[in-house]
Amino acid sequence: MYAVRFHGRGGQGAKTASRILGTAAFLSGYQAQDSPIYGAERRGAPVSAFTRFGREPIRERGGMAHPDLVVVADASLLEDPAARLSDGITEQTILFVNSPLHAEQIRAQSALPGRITTLGVTEIALQHFGQREAISALLGAVAARLAGLQQEPLRQAIARELGDLGVAPPIIERNQTVALMCYESVQVMARESVALPATIATTFHTPVYESPSRGTARISATGNSVLRETGGWRTFRPVLVADKCNGCWLCFVYCPDGVISMNTDDRPVIDYDHCKGCQICVHECPTHALVAEREQEGGVAWTAR
Amino acid sequence: MDSQMMTGNLAAAWGARLADVDYIPAFPITPQTEIVEALAKWCEGGELAARFVTMDSEHSMMTAAGAAEATGARVFTATSSQGLLYAFEVLYSISGWRAPLVLVNVSRALAAPITLESDHNDVLAARDSGFLQIHAETCQEVLDSILMAYRIAEDERVMLPVIVNLDGFSLSFTREPVSLPDPEQVRKFLPPFRPAHLGFRASAPHSLGVAVIGGTPYAYFRHQMHLASINALEVHREAAASFEQLFGRRYDVVEGYRLDDAEDVLVMTNACSSTGKAAVDVARAEGKRVGLLRLRMIRPWPADAIRDALRGRRAVAVLDQNLAPGQGGILFQEMAASLYHEVERPRALCSFIGGLGGQNLSVGAFHAIFEQTAKAGVSGKGIGPVLLYTQAEHREMTQLQMVAAGSVKRET
Repeated sequence: MYAVRFHGRGGQGAKTASRILGTAAFLSGYQAQDSPIYGAERRGAPVSAFTRFGREPIRERGGMAHPDLVVVADASLLEDPAARLSDGITEQTILFVNSPLHAEQIRAQSALPGRITTLGVTEIALQHFGQREAISALLGAVAARLAGLQQEPLRQAIARELGDLGVAPPIIERNQTVALMCYESVQVMARESVALPATIATTFHTPVYESPSRGTARISATGNSVLRETGGWRTFRPVLVADKCNGCWLCFVYCPDGVISMNTDDRPVIDYDHCKGCQICVHECPTHALVAEREQEGGVAWTAR
Repeated sequence: MDSQMMTGNLAAAWGARLADVDYIPAFPITPQTEIVEALAKWCEGGELAARFVTMDSEHSMMTAAGAAEATGARVFTATSSQGLLYAFEVLYSISGWRAPLVLVNVSRALAAPITLESDHNDVLAARDSGFLQIHAETCQEVLDSILMAYRIAEDERVMLPVIVNLDGFSLSFTREPVSLPDPEQVRKFLPPFRPAHLGFRASAPHSLGVAVIGGTPYAYFRHQMHLASINALEVHREAAASFEQLFGRRYDVVEGYRLDDAEDVLVMTNACSSTGKAAVDVARAEGKRVGLLRLRMIRPWPADAIRDALRGRRAVAVLDQNLAPGQGGILFQEMAASLYHEVERPRALCSFIGGLGGQNLSVGAFHAIFEQTAKAGVSGKGIGPVLLYTQAEHREMTQLQMVAAGSVKRET
């Protein structure tokens, strides 16, 4: 069995990419399975998806303990422990990172043991489609190449999956063309068979009774949301043009996450560690004093812990 | 027959579409929503000639479903978790009316605390409602079981509603290759619904579910329901044979996996059985003589099939993906009751509770289950309920408790 895990942010198309790979494998004559995992999050939150294929029936379900290939749709996830990107990665695992940086530069930044390969898929999407979210077909293509699938089933899989989402035929064709470019340009790495350790029995903890103040699903800590930094969810960030601000406080009122505070001069101060980039403040500001700026790799959202 | 990648939810919708249902009352709930979305689209587009109605709650939805079925329409609906519980009192009325609709439940663990992922306390809460229950392991089985469910439910010897169960996430959102049966063949398998005791004609008025005071009539009707449910075992056998002949796939009330020379047997249900089978393969490769028995039909309870599969084994472990607080595993109790009078009953019965709320069960966890079961078999002394919780899970939980109690501060 070949096991591929996709990590992305809600809205980037990691789930669709996993489906393109699953369908491409299925059309290649393999047994295949794909599945996403997500909770109650929104656009920008870390999501993952799994594709498995092989000659034998797929018995594994759900979470993937031993991926052969990990596809990272957003390099900022490398630094987000909530993405659990490192789970089950060994020295044999192929780790694809969507980044214009060279593999060696990513290696220097991250402590992951996998064999890294990169391609700036987002830049390619911006160049060809004018938008950075349209990367599902491109990620699917990169994954298909690294997983050893052929071009024709990939082309068909892109048509089926994007077609199911209601994408218009001319756009599907452009996706196929650009996806095949990505397929050709990603640096291929041979699969190194993962020598799985012999199964050892899991050590269990025997549950013991604890007082209801511990044993009830109850949060007594105040203000603990600050522990979960969500700045990395942004695609755009709101930026204040100070001389346009009339101090009306509407941004403060409308911010759904309470990350805007007002200073003594009645000017908003944005907590970029937690702002998710919903742009409601930008939309509501009556004087257009808040503007949306695209996040760049290495920018504010990037360095948000 | 054409095969395509399909989620368990979409397979469920296809089951209803191929069964050519007449009426679909709906209310959305994660992780079931994709089922009713697909059906709504098909009803709108004319691919399915059914009336699709969105209701204000699951209670109304089930009431509408039962009432429509009582007029002689073929009815399909679907829910999950809290939605099933909200519809609960109506379930008992529908089975009492002997209205054989099919309800898909997408298992999701119950609140509180609230979650989205699967375990089976929702569907097993309905085990005494009079609905038959078929629990599926794969997306293909979801579709096929819905077709079988209508055939069994609408048989004169049964006339009881059926719940077809699939796991949230691990089937509902998971795509696998699913072969779509040919509609013509489905029509052969599933003749039109023409119930003698149901219908709605001004010229032939009747009253259904009437009041009965005093136990005599009440007990009679309850006994009839029980006998009807037991009949479903034989009707299932016939339906399975006919299904296999037409579509080439065979489903029995229980499924044995590598049981032939197995000393110890693990009993499971639903999608997690796939993981259990993989663990059996690993254990077999290490020379352990283990196998797996998957319970597919939960109501009626297939006691004979269970006894036949487990007679003479050394030890049996039941892995319940549910927990009855103050008791233990729900299916373990029923397994123990089935095996008590078996002369060659297994030397030890072990009860494990795992996979609650989508909790991961690793190959290592199954390894530990097999080890403990083998030990119990040797000593002749069963164990449990064992609440499966790994050291790693315990560490993660301890960390969460610290966050919840405010003893973790933000690094600055």
